[in-house]
Amino acid sequence: MATLDLTEIVKSFGSTQVLHGISLAIESGQFVSLLGPSGCGKTTLLRIIAGLEGVTRGSVHIDGRDVTGLPPESRDIAMMFQSYALLPHMSVRENIRFPLRMRRRGTRAEQDDRVQAALETVQLGHLADRMPRQLSGGQQQRVALARAIVSDPKILLLDEPLSNLDARLREDMQVELIELHRRLGLTTVFVTHDQEEALSLSDVVVLMNSGRIEQVGDPQTIYASPHTGFASEFLGSANLVPVKVIEGASGPQAQLPNGETIAVAVGTKPHGETHLVLRQEDLKLFPAKPGMSGDFLATVETRVFLGARIRYVLRMGDLRLKCLAPASDDFSAGERVTVRLPEGGAQVIST
Amino acid sequence: MRDRIEDIALAGPGILLLALAFVLPLVEMLRLSIVGADGGVTAEHFVRFLSDPYYLGVVWRTIYLSLLITIICAAVGFPLAYVMARVSPQMRLWLIVLIILPLMTSVVVRTFGWMVVLGRGGLIPFSLWKLGFVGRNFTLMHTEAAIVIGMVQVLLPFTALSILGVVMKIDRRLEEAARTMGASFLATLRSVVLPLAMPGILAGSLLAFTLSVSSFVTPSLLGGVRLPVVASSIYDAATKTLEWNFAAAQSVILLIGVLLALTPYIRLSGRRHG
Ligand SMILES: Nc1ncnc2c1ncn2[C@@H]1O[C@H](COP(=O)(O)OP(=O)(O)O)[C@@H](O)[C@H]1O
Ligand SMILES: [Mg+2]
Repeated sequence: MATLDLTEIVKSFGSTQVLHGISLAIESGQFVSLLGPSGCGKTTLLRIIAGLEGVTRGSVHIDGRDVTGLPPESRDIAMMFQSYALLPHMSVRENIRFPLRMRRRGTRAEQDDRVQAALETVQLGHLADRMPRQLSGGQQQRVALARAIVSDPKILLLDEPLSNLDARLREDMQVELIELHRRLGLTTVFVTHDQEEALSLSDVVVLMNSGRIEQVGDPQTIYASPHTGFASEFLGSANLVPVKVIEGASGPQAQLPNGETIAVAVGTKPHGETHLVLRQEDLKLFPAKPGMSGDFLATVETRVFLGARIRYVLRMGDLRLKCLAPASDDFSAGERVTVRLPEGGAQVIST
Repeated sequence: MRDRIEDIALAGPGILLLALAFVLPLVEMLRLSIVGADGGVTAEHFVRFLSDPYYLGVVWRTIYLSLLITIICAAVGFPLAYVMARVSPQMRLWLIVLIILPLMTSVVVRTFGWMVVLGRGGLIPFSLWKLGFVGRNFTLMHTEAAIVIGMVQVLLPFTALSILGVVMKIDRRLEEAARTMGASFLATLRSVVLPLAMPGILAGSLLAFTLSVSSFVTPSLLGGVRLPVVASSIYDAATKTLEWNFAAAQSVILLIGVLLALTPYIRLSGRRHG
């Protein structure tokens, strides 16, 4: 367990700069997600923390010690690769023992005990003597996890560890990761491009975009009040509607391109041009019944059945809105519906 | 079925050529090796070779020089292949060209180069003498060291390229993973790269060993008449003393030796692919 401090990290490959000054302080024992679209520099940042990649500028401190110039083996970290990187010429047991052997932790017997404990943590005791190629993807993933935690590293680095698993296994592993983290309390940096995964697993979400940190916060905060258009779109796949904020009789109002107005959160400052954030799951749909204020009429353009929920694309004049409704709110394409916005007024981007 | 026929049609010329150029001489060689002076079947040539301390000495020299050459080729070839596998593609191309270039010139030419460098007054003895490491101007020619140096230069490209093929297929992330698990660069090389490169090292070593036991030009030119190996002994019997049957018997022994060296490898790789 240790703190991790990144200071003004800049990274260029040749003439292309991929990280533009990343600063981040991670407290001991926190589970932090690096979240962002593919290619935004998450893996590069993780590799810099691991020491597999040098920095162009900036520094990395683990537990207050400057490790910027140290090779990976001197950093006391563990990293789980997206491809698992199990050593193909070693059995499961030898793979898990490898970090203990390389770091000369304890006697042979003590190492055996720790390997056994790690195997049991991931429920793989019965497969200890198999070779990696004899395991399924999910089992390989558990071996990689056992190997990462067995040496009790200061920092645990996980690069999209669940992305190669099918949906069911993935959910199981998410639960196990949370429990494992609660039990071991390892400072963990978890890379993902899946916003749900980041929000459900982490203490802190670090949202990245094109080599910069877009927003840092706990999952609730970052979900409820995204600071930028990118943040709101990426986190909730929200609809962004261009609006003007004006001071109406009953509080701040957002004026849509077609001239209609809706109430926005109390305290919102008047604003020339900004965006209204309408999260897909916050829009409620009813059979078309004109009347109530705050409700809008729209036409269902597309309907995608997702099992527990249905995704709609709605058309309101020139606007297209995405909406995620419970399966009980079933409308067919072409149908007219009433759209109700969330209570307490909608959010606008504050910048 | 049609595929089978087409396969035979396509492979036909090659197989025919092999039969003419390889199988026929081989059969003739086997026949000669068991023909006695009176024209009857005999094992006398084999007995003569295997019971004469002189010839056993030749065999022993051939084997231990080949082993030494093979070990040096593997020991130098592995790090070389590793570096080649891990540099940029352009750099790798240059290194491969650099390694293959000597193969473009004849072994005789290269060996003559060594004669110049190793002989009395040649670059190496002369430098050692002038630098005071040895007391007089001497020659390295006609020594086992000369044979080893010359043969390593001839065979290193084969070993290095065999190993390169295998190291190129090792996932780099395995090495990175090992580093994050506390293994230093050298520890990673020893406990990850070396074991995974072993098939290539074995194949390259075997190639070096078989080429080495049957090589003729370099050992004869650099070792001279006082350090004969099996190949030069065959050459002498066939061209100087004109004992064709004895030469054939020696060739059969050499062939059997090479095949014996190859069997464990063929069995190993057969198991891996089958
Ligand atoms: N070794 C490298 N050489 C050149 N460019 C690289 C290298 N590694 C990553 N990049 C570039 O850096 C950017 C960020 O990559 P990466 O960190 O892998 O993103 P992410 O993990 O968020 O998908 C990408 O544009 C990628 O092409
Ligand atoms: Mg990545």
